[in-house]
Amino acid sequence: MTLTMTLGLLAAVAQAQAEGTDTTIAVRAGTRLEVHNLSGDIIVRAWDRNSVRVQAEHSSRDRVDIGYGGVVLRISASSRRGAPRGVDYILTVPAAMDLNLSGTYGDISVDGSAGRINVETVQGDVTVRGGRSLVTLHSVGGDVRVGEVRGRLEASSTNGEVTVEDMEGEVYAETTNGDVLLRDVRSNNVRATTVNGDIVYRGTIGDDGQYRLSTHNGDITMTVPSGTNATVSVSTFSGDFESDFPVTLSGPRQGRRFSFTIGSGRATLELESFQGSIRLIRP
Amino acid sequence: MGARTAEASILRNGPDTIPQDAADVALAQSGDAQAFERLYRAQVARVHSLARRMVGPAEADELTQDVFVRGWQKLHTFRGEAAFGTWLHRLAVNLMLAHCAAQGARRRYLDEGADPAEVGEARPASPELTMDFETAIGRLPPGARQIFVLHDVEGYKHEEIAEMLGISAGTSKAQLHRARMALRRHLER
Amino acid sequence: MADQWTHRLSEYLDDELSATERRRLDEHLQGCPACRETLEELHAVATRAASLEDRSPARDLWAGVAARIGAAPSEAEAAVGGRWRRLRLAFTVPQLAAAALALMTVSAGSVWLAGPRRPIVQQAGAPATQGPAITASPVAMVEGAYQAAVSDLERVLAEGRGRLDSATVRVLEQNLGIIDAAIAQSQRALAADPASPYLNAHLASTMKRKLELLRQASRLVAART
Repeated sequence: MTLTMTLGLLAAVAQAQAEGTDTTIAVRAGTRLEVHNLSGDIIVRAWDRNSVRVQAEHSSRDRVDIGYGGVVLRISASSRRGAPRGVDYILTVPAAMDLNLSGTYGDISVDGSAGRINVETVQGDVTVRGGRSLVTLHSVGGDVRVGEVRGRLEASSTNGEVTVEDMEGEVYAETTNGDVLLRDVRSNNVRATTVNGDIVYRGTIGDDGQYRLSTHNGDITMTVPSGTNATVSVSTFSGDFESDFPVTLSGPRQGRRFSFTIGSGRATLELESFQGSIRLIRP
Repeated sequence: MGARTAEASILRNGPDTIPQDAADVALAQSGDAQAFERLYRAQVARVHSLARRMVGPAEADELTQDVFVRGWQKLHTFRGEAAFGTWLHRLAVNLMLAHCAAQGARRRYLDEGADPAEVGEARPASPELTMDFETAIGRLPPGARQIFVLHDVEGYKHEEIAEMLGISAGTSKAQLHRARMALRRHLER
Repeated sequence: MADQWTHRLSEYLDDELSATERRRLDEHLQGCPACRETLEELHAVATRAASLEDRSPARDLWAGVAARIGAAPSEAEAAVGGRWRRLRLAFTVPQLAAAALALMTVSAGSVWLAGPRRPIVQQAGAPATQGPAITASPVAMVEGAYQAAVSDLERVLAEGRGRLDSATVRVLEQNLGIIDAAIAQSQRALAADPASPYLNAHLASTMKRKLELLRQASRLVAART
């Protein structure tokens, strides 16, 4: 059953089908999507139509509420009795639509977006492919995996791994109990940090770039492409340092930190591991 | 990741087959050093024996400690897909191979033409000197020794050994054979 | 005595020959007592190897491990949530907001809590320490305010953790334990080397991380209120 909304109307649409919802709503350009889902997965895919298709699986006690006012299309669930038991969404949206998705228990994934993306969840994994301009992803207990972002990315978890691939733009990646893996990154500003985990960076090191990788209990592996110009500062308490390059120190080794230069030394690399290994490798 | 590891074990194995150390692993992953000490007690004999056979008795103590320190540092990467002991053991093998490599000891193998009865570095075979089996393993040249220990003592397959040592499976098989041939004479009767 | 089959005997023993090769070697073995005897010997070596017993080291190596992982009695106490269970004071959401505000003041007001994208460039030949000489730990300057904020938040969480599901509580406690362990190790390192710029900055950023986790946890509690 499909229902097409007239543009400009402010209304809550309740689809009380037994066991599910399947509705398509026409949307104006510039509309952003907001989904809040306490329990259940959210899957967002993109298409080239100016409408949003909402497919949801839920019990007949629960219902999906869709509200379209101004520039926001809001989707949430309610129940005849108590809290909704759990809704799994599959949403197909215009590629350029900005997305604001949040949930507590459940995975959230986005595929093929060309808009801004904000995702927050507590227990689930976050998986995103796409995203422009600004992408902010956060989970507490789950992993965050993101690829093909063009713009600024902030990806963080507490208890999970953060993986970033095919990235163009500034990156801030953080977790506490997990690794941070950055691959195929083209950026002039990268900050990656964890406490109990490794950091791996494989990407460009631009002449005007700043790259800061820091961990407490893990290893850092940084690939240094040929032709790199960087001043590298290595800090560690009880870890060790290995390099595929000959290293001549550019100053006295001051306790836990020492620096050296590669090429003309223009970019800034700060590599810190309290007790793990720091390695510079060739591609 | 401690909670997840323990939960993963339970879901996979059912409540009556949870590995005994799952609780200690989970605790250790959240920073509990006493739990890690219990894991140490359970695993140290195996790790130390591997160290003795791979790098020799002189460095075994230090290498053993290195293994556990590294295990503590890397504990967050253990996800419960295998037994903790298996994971730690693999970590130990990698560490010991890296240690041998870092020492610059050229990995030496038993040559085709060498008399397989002549185990060790040009020591003249002496009939009165009965060598026990473990000592004889220690006398093998480093490359052959690593392969023999990994295959026959620790149970790794040739493909795995080849990958760990950066050699071909064929070399691994050939060296294993020569090591066995060389050790024949040193079985306690 | 070696013949052309001798060097395949190990592969035969380990069942690594193809079916055809195995058949051919079987046939050869029937007529070659020397190879049969060698095979027995190889089998004995492999069996002996597989049955080698594991022996513990002659001396107890745990102390050395413990020292290197920074394990100390106080750390064992600090692990896993013990502190949350002790306090049962009731705090309201406005008080929670005040604690979070205090947090933000501590974070923003302190020079030493490292923010993102602040490069530390060491020019060749320059002295290692830029700016004022570090005689006392800079972290001590903010430690009072930090401790107050942490204590406030922990009280709020002790009261409110019943509203969070057990999986989330476990994740938060586990990670607080991880951060606390890292803080303890950093403090011990800093005590031995108080002027180190790296150790000061590292301790500060780890402490800030703890604040942020507590703040996040309190937001989760507040969301359930």
